[in-house]
This record gives sequence, C-alpha cells and structure tokens, in this order.
Amino acid sequence: MSQSLRPYLQAVRSSLTAALCLSNFASQTAERHNVPEVEARTSPEVLLTPLTIARNENERVLIEPSINSIRISIKIKQADEIEHILVHKFTRFLTQRAESFFILRRKPIKGYDISFLITNFHTEEMLKHKLVDFIIQFMEEVDKEISEMKLFLNARARFVAESFLTPFD
Amino acid sequence: MSIIQQHTQATLSDAWRTINIDALTEDSSVNFDVSTLHPPLPEVSEADARAINGQVRQLLRGGDAEGALRGCLEMPVYNGSEAAKETHLHTVIEVLQSIKASEMTPMLQRIYAQQGGSECLDVLMKYLYKGMGATSSSADGSSGRATPARAMTPQATGFSQVGQRPMAANESTGSAMSVLLSWHEKVVEVAGLGCIGRVMTDFRRV
Repeated sequence: MSQSLRPYLQAVRSSLTAALCLSNFASQTAERHNVPEVEARTSPEVLLTPLTIARNENERVLIEPSINSIRISIKIKQADEIEHILVHKFTRFLTQRAESFFILRRKPIKGYDISFLITNFHTEEMLKHKLVDFIIQFMEEVDKEISEMKLFLNARARFVAESFLTPFD
Repeated sequence: MSIIQQHTQATLSDAWRTINIDALTEDSSVNFDVSTLHPPLPEVSEADARAINGQVRQLLRGGDAEGALRGCLEMPVYNGSEAAKETHLHTVIEVLQSIKASEMTPMLQRIYAQQGGSECLDVLMKYLYKGMGATSSSADGSSGRATPARAMTPQATGFSQVGQRPMAANESTGSAMSVLLSWHEKVVEVAGLGCIGRVMTDFRRV
C-alpha cells in the first residue's frame, strides 16, 4: 500500500467506526413510517455534521451521518478520460445490481461516483466492523481494479492496432 | 368536485403539487429550530479573525508553535460570516503545516492533558474535516471549468498518454491534504474515536 493511501484509509476507517452508531428512529412526519433520515431530511435535529475526508481533490469520501442511517459517498481517482469511462462503467455495473450488495445506493449523490446507504437495520443484522472493512476493502480494490483494467485496455488496443495495420506493412 | 374553487394560472399548472406543505406548518419537524441545540454563541467578525491570525503568526515566529495552536483552537469561529470562518480556517491550517511530524504526538498529548484540552482537540478535529472539505469543494469549481477544455482536445479517445496529467497540478493540494490526514491520525490516537463522535453531534459548526 502506498505511503499516502494508508493515512487516508485510516482516517476513513476511524470516521466510519465513529459514525456507525445507529438506532431505530421512526419518521416524525408520517405515522408508522420508518425512513432513513439522511435521505428524507424531514427533521434537521437528527442530521449530524457531514464529514469530508480527502486525499487530494480527485479522491475524497463524504460521510453524512444521521440518527438512523449514514450515507457514504466515494469519489474514485480518475487521472484521465480512460479512467473516467472505466469508473463510470464499473460503478454502473455495481449500482445495477444494488439489491445484492444490500448497502449500495442505486444512485450516487452529485459530485461522487458511488454511494452507500447504511441504515440501523443493516447494522442490526450485520457486524459493524465487517461493514467498515467492506467499505475500506472496496476503496482499496477499486483503485487496483481500475488501473488493471486500464493496462489491459491499452495492451488490447495496441494488439488490435498492430494486427489491423499488419497488411499495410 | 375539485378542491380548488377558483382557477388561476398558478393552479392550472402542476407546480403547486411539488410544494412541501410540511415546511409551511409551524409545528412540523422540518421547522425545528436547530439553534436551540447549542448555547448562544458570540459573533466573531472578520476583523477579529484577522487579529487572531496576527497574534498566532507572532507566536509562530517566536517559535511557540504549541501556544499558537492552542491560541487558535481556543477561539474557534462558530458564529460569524463566511469570510471570518475562512480566515480562521487558514490560520489553523497555517499553524498545522508549520509543525513538524515528529512534534505532533507529544504536542497533542501535552494539550490533551491540560485544562480544557479535550475541547481543544475536538475543535482541531472540526477544522481538520473542514479543511479537507473546503479545499475539495473549491477544487471542485476549478475541475468543473477544466472539463470542457479537456473534452475539446483533438484526441477525445483518451488514449494519448502525453495529455495533461491532472495529478501534477494537484501536488500542492495533495501535500496539504496529507498534512491534515496525518494530523487526523494523531488526534484519533490521542483523543480517541469519541473526538469524531463529538464533531458529528456538535451543532456548533465551524
């Protein structure tokens, strides 16, 4: 792991551990409803201060905590247009299968590439430290995956171009 | 029979359906007054923030980095204009950047052990998060402006490797972030996770 990635992930890990402190809280506006307050935004007193953790301007995490849910949005590193396309395709692939990831939000919030929504029901049936580990592991893997895909894409493009241009040699 | 008795231009369109009527009800939870969640805060003007900045700089020049750090953390700008908050954020970041990595932990431990040291570190944590958020949002604007120019490059295929590497321009913000990140790590080591919890639940926002 590179030297600057470690403090970044460590900061995300400690912030997430502190933020994942959720309790059941029914909606105050609609009777017999129980909605994630961070999404509904109907009670300002249960929305806590959002936290931003940034490694540089291209890589950051926004954690929006509330009483019964937290929303984690990740902006994945995109150094050039190829990576931008790859990140878009990759996150699209994941969000289309959001129901099998449980905590994945179907649509990222504006300015970020992928969002997770963890409610008190998730923390009740899943282990909190495992949830944190999952997010951290996702952040580690996604960078690796994108750069691997980029290398593969470039190698393939070179091969295709070579074989396409062979007859004109 | 329609609820609307008299039709006007406004009632004929569908726009009224999207009005959040909860916001118009006085005792709705949407209208909860968040300012009741913290004690009344003294207002700090931009001039005051600049005065603190001057004092802190003087302490820094005198070699008293710990005094400078304590000084700016004891007078956080909770209630004030955006400019005043911005000035104070710059003051704090300036102090943080001037302290060597090897001095961070002992200095934090000394501050934490003093009277009111725990609150000081909570304030420091608030400024660390604000610092990381503020630089990224201001950078957001610049990258937004850069995108159309990038889209107009002749090779929109993205295969060109010679193209501008945005990483190079980010080196300065990247190093500023790494300072904040290492401070974050040290503060959590000294003050624990409760420090982050208090940052989130405190409605006195910097």
